[in-house]
Amino acid sequence: MSAVGEAERRRAPNPVRAHLEAIAAALSRALKPPMTLMYPDVVEELPEGYRGVIAYRYERCVGCGLCARICPARAIKMYKVPGDKRMRPGYDMTRCIFCGFCVDVCPVNALEHTKIHDKAYYELDSMVLDPVEWAEFSRRLIEEQSARSRSPNLVRAVFDEEVGLRYERLRRS
Amino acid sequence: MIDAVPLLERVLTPAVLAPLLYPGLATALVTVLLVIWLERKIAARVQMRVGPYYVAPRVHGALQLVADGMRFFFQEVIVPLTAGRGFLLAPALALAFTAAAFAVIPGGPGVVGFKTDYSLLVALAALSLTPPLVLLMGWASNNKFAVLGSAREALLTASYEPLLFMSALAAAVMYGTLDLVAAVEAQARLGVVGLALNPLAALLFFVAMMAATDRIPFDIVMGEQEIVHGPYTEYSGVAYGVVMGLDYVKLYALSLLYANLFLGGWLPFNDPLAGSLVLYVKALAVMAAAVFLRGVYGRLRLDHALDALWSKLFPLAVVSILVSALIAYYLGG
Repeated sequence: MSAVGEAERRRAPNPVRAHLEAIAAALSRALKPPMTLMYPDVVEELPEGYRGVIAYRYERCVGCGLCARICPARAIKMYKVPGDKRMRPGYDMTRCIFCGFCVDVCPVNALEHTKIHDKAYYELDSMVLDPVEWAEFSRRLIEEQSARSRSPNLVRAVFDEEVGLRYERLRRS
Repeated sequence: MIDAVPLLERVLTPAVLAPLLYPGLATALVTVLLVIWLERKIAARVQMRVGPYYVAPRVHGALQLVADGMRFFFQEVIVPLTAGRGFLLAPALALAFTAAAFAVIPGGPGVVGFKTDYSLLVALAALSLTPPLVLLMGWASNNKFAVLGSAREALLTASYEPLLFMSALAAAVMYGTLDLVAAVEAQARLGVVGLALNPLAALLFFVAMMAATDRIPFDIVMGEQEIVHGPYTEYSGVAYGVVMGLDYVKLYALSLLYANLFLGGWLPFNDPLAGSLVLYVKALAVMAAAVFLRGVYGRLRLDHALDALWSKLFPLAVVSILVSALIAYYLGG
């Protein structure tokens, strides 16, 4: 019997105990609540400053074009709007990387992040918005955001030493 | 005109009804759906997931398997051009042999299809006819993964079947009978269940049962990450449903055997209905334990499994027979 083999033997756990420990570990895990976010059924409460889809307020915009200049993904382009002297920004959601440079650079706070990121479309074309469409879309987006924050199924992520993340309901229905 | 009533009386005998209704195929189908759902739910909980849910959320997705089954039924059965003879015959025959075992496995007090003094032997013999058919499936599939899976099945079968028969023999020696009904009656007479009398035999039977039904850690035959789905690789549609359900039906049959041999069968009830229910619940508990281990173990390597079965568990099986002989000597004499 070599010295290495002897050391291996000493380190090897008792098989019966190892089996029982493994089964006990699985059992204790099974008794803990799942850490799944039941996504479409519940609404997760998101932190302030969450970088979701960008909303645009036409009435605040001065048409300076800083957002179009700074956008690293070229998601914002300036458009001519009939009946308006200045050009206004349009939004291409297929390109946006939600970096928030446009929100930071806007001198009049016409742009803001919403907390909504889960939007789906049947056609790519409907994800490209001109200034008027973007303003209208943003109005609906902000409405949806406030509706979500009033949802009865709002959950909050809590840090749990045992399971990691856990989701707690904020309101009892 | 033929008089229908005597004919019906001839056909609808317990020997026909037991393999077909209870404890046979009809119950087995429901049990398979239940157990697979249970398996997925338990595995999910061990991994802190939710498991199948959105098919019938109110019952936590219990109808998921019904949905899956419907999909199998309406899917086209594709037989590969290169498939050999017996490609579709093998799964059907395997299911038939498994169903034949239900003819002798008692489903409750007096609920026995075919009464014989050798019911334990007949049931195990019928169940051990399925591995050769799995070999046939792999051979007929004419696919390298399937053939590899078949080779694994052959090696594994040769290792777990002795263990299964030896641990069943230990139980038989302990009760002094090869009849399952008499085994349960012996437990009633002794007032102790087999699990308490000879825990070693009970444990070994459970391990052999896990190996016989391809449960993790013995799912070497299917080995999804290695050989796709082993001998079952080429099956699709309802044929896939049958080959996948086969192991679970076998698990159900062996769990019934286990409940009869080691958990006191239908005791403490002697009423056919309550007794059958108790036996079924006991079998279900055995199956739940078997599928729970999916969340505990990984897959054993083939040589490790063979080594464990032959050189570690087989000697233990011999010991368990000696223990049984001692028990029979002291309690029987």
